[in-house]
Amino acid sequence: MSIKTNKSVWRLLAFVAPAFALYAISLLIPTIGGMYYSFTDWNGLKRTYGFIGFANFVDALTDDPDFVRSLWFTMKYVLYMVVLQNVIALLLAAFIETRRKSKAFFRTLFFMPNMISTIISAFIWTFVFTQVLPQLAERTMLTFLDQSWIGDPRVSFYSILIVSLWNGVGYMMIIYLAAMQGVPKSLQEAATIDGAGPFQTFVRVTLPMIAHALTICFFLTLNGAFKVFEAVYGLTGGGPGRSTQVITMNIYEEAFSNNFLYGYASAKSIILFVIVLIFTFLQIRVMKKREVEA
Amino acid sequence: MKTSWKTMLAGALAAVLLTGCGSNAAESGGASSGAASGETVAAKAVTLKMFVAIPRFKQQFDQYVEQFKAKMKAEKNIDLTVQMEMPTADTAPQILKTRLASNDAPDIFSLHAINEIPSFYKAGYLADLSGQPFTDKLLDSVKSSVSIDGKIVAVPLETLSWGYLYNKAIFAEHGLTPPATLSEMKTLTETLQAKGVTPFLLSYSESWIPQLVLPLAAGALINTENPDFIDRMNRDEGSFQELKAMFDIFDLINANGTDRALEVGGDDGAAAFAQGKAAMWLQGPWYADTILKSDPDFNFGVAALPVNNNPDATMINLSTSTSLAVSPDSKNKEIAIEFINYVLDDNDSNAFYESLKFNPLATVHTFDSFSWVNDATEYVKQGKSYQDPVIPQAVKDEVGKGLQSYYAGQMTQDDVLNALDRAWKNYNKVNQ
Repeated sequence: MSIKTNKSVWRLLAFVAPAFALYAISLLIPTIGGMYYSFTDWNGLKRTYGFIGFANFVDALTDDPDFVRSLWFTMKYVLYMVVLQNVIALLLAAFIETRRKSKAFFRTLFFMPNMISTIISAFIWTFVFTQVLPQLAERTMLTFLDQSWIGDPRVSFYSILIVSLWNGVGYMMIIYLAAMQGVPKSLQEAATIDGAGPFQTFVRVTLPMIAHALTICFFLTLNGAFKVFEAVYGLTGGGPGRSTQVITMNIYEEAFSNNFLYGYASAKSIILFVIVLIFTFLQIRVMKKREVEA
Repeated sequence: MKTSWKTMLAGALAAVLLTGCGSNAAESGGASSGAASGETVAAKAVTLKMFVAIPRFKQQFDQYVEQFKAKMKAEKNIDLTVQMEMPTADTAPQILKTRLASNDAPDIFSLHAINEIPSFYKAGYLADLSGQPFTDKLLDSVKSSVSIDGKIVAVPLETLSWGYLYNKAIFAEHGLTPPATLSEMKTLTETLQAKGVTPFLLSYSESWIPQLVLPLAAGALINTENPDFIDRMNRDEGSFQELKAMFDIFDLINANGTDRALEVGGDDGAAAFAQGKAAMWLQGPWYADTILKSDPDFNFGVAALPVNNNPDATMINLSTSTSLAVSPDSKNKEIAIEFINYVLDDNDSNAFYESLKFNPLATVHTFDSFSWVNDATEYVKQGKSYQDPVIPQAVKDEVGKGLQSYYAGQMTQDDVLNALDRAWKNYNKVNQ
């Protein structure tokens, strides 16, 4: 018996091996390397570098106002994104579920932006924000459209949100749709017979039944929002100044454009990694408890 | 992103393979021809490695190298093979530094004269070229930019002379000439405003464009009243408060500029400038190509930006960018220096520089340059020019972002200046 289990374990490992080898080479080893470099003052070129313990981490958190500011900006972005992306995706999914014939049409329509890469959609929207909307405002008297969409730091936060949502909502919507289709019709019918309206059915039956999808979607949006880069890079480049700089962009700037402080930038990446780890861990623990089986 | 990396990698590998084939073929060809002719003295085979980071001029360079090979064969009976490497300007500094650090230096390599010569020289990566024949042909205004410690260490290829650009048609229509002082500039903007012309085009969405005001203001002040600013900054003893005057001209430009500055980038700016949306643009003539693409007949000039009321401080910024240097560890140093001299050859250099559309920079260059180059040369002839000040890249990045924030009203003048002081101190700390 034990020989047999051993054999099947080995067989399973053999199946995993190719993927794991790739994963290890392209992700695991660099990650460990990054962790190592975060304790050094390596500048990317020097063949000698010193081991400086936690100095990089201390510097980043206490002596780097730009990093801390970008951290708060990212937090704000994450909060808005997690809430809005999931609410909008849920609403869209619920709306599509009510359609009979046009289901496939709307599903495709709302999923379409997700097929465009984020950086491209950022460039498309740059054109919309700088050319189309001001012109539209001029011709139609809708003066509220005439904003400095990507030039004014107060407005550009919302521009970044709009583009990220436009690009990301479709994917979450598909996950919710799939989950909703797995909710047994009998439960919904029973609720209707008991006198529940459509809203009550949604909140009391559908939502608890798709809790596992909520967990996944919250995980994905939380994780993705912390690592946002392209949307901001394409729209504002972090500017004007550093007013819309997110953490990833701050790390990129530190490593590749100023003084080539690779070690310091690695330390910042590790900080980001730890933050994402803590947040997603908490989120999964809380939400896993609420899941129910049909 | 991933696919593009793969494509690039594949391309690089293919290129390596192909160069491998090419050199082999050449060597075996040379060997067989030598064996076949028998009687003639066997030619000496030499391989020269070149690293030139301006791939857009590959054709011109390949041709010039062919000419050089023919010359070497004829004069010295040398079968020269050149391994030419032309990475893009974004990646070149990284590749080059890695090469140098791992003792795999190319025999000849390109570098940015103002930004890179000091650090490369200090690290001992530049051969002394003083006394070579080409040095006597260099114009004085260029010579100092490739010299350090009294030694000439590179041959310049591309030079820039810049201040701001102005629309000659608009200036002629209102009978205006480029002003010599800040108050004259103020009067000029008032005149233009009164006639319904926007004086300045603003394009601040890319941070390097507002950044341009720093080299201009710093250059003007350093060369009139504050000569040791850079030295003191490098010793942590100076402060950007001394250059606070740069906000006088920056404020004047912003107060008389076009709308939506933070949404307009360089290319959009060039198009708008070519359409005559404003009379002046804080930009260098490196945008000439883009401007002329929008309107091939557009007539613009280069003028010096006034930063205060001292007319002597209104000067053109002279900068040397791409230059060629020789590695001191080169195994074929003689041939490499031979090529460096050939770059300013009496017969061939003129056509070479003209085909590259670079500015004339040596006595052997007699071709007609563009009208905007002549505008700038006028200033240089009157002695109203200075060498681009050596400001660390990290500080230049910082000033671009700072001035963007200043324009958006998020930072005060002092905030910007303090951020710059901090950036320079960090630079000193890292590069001790």
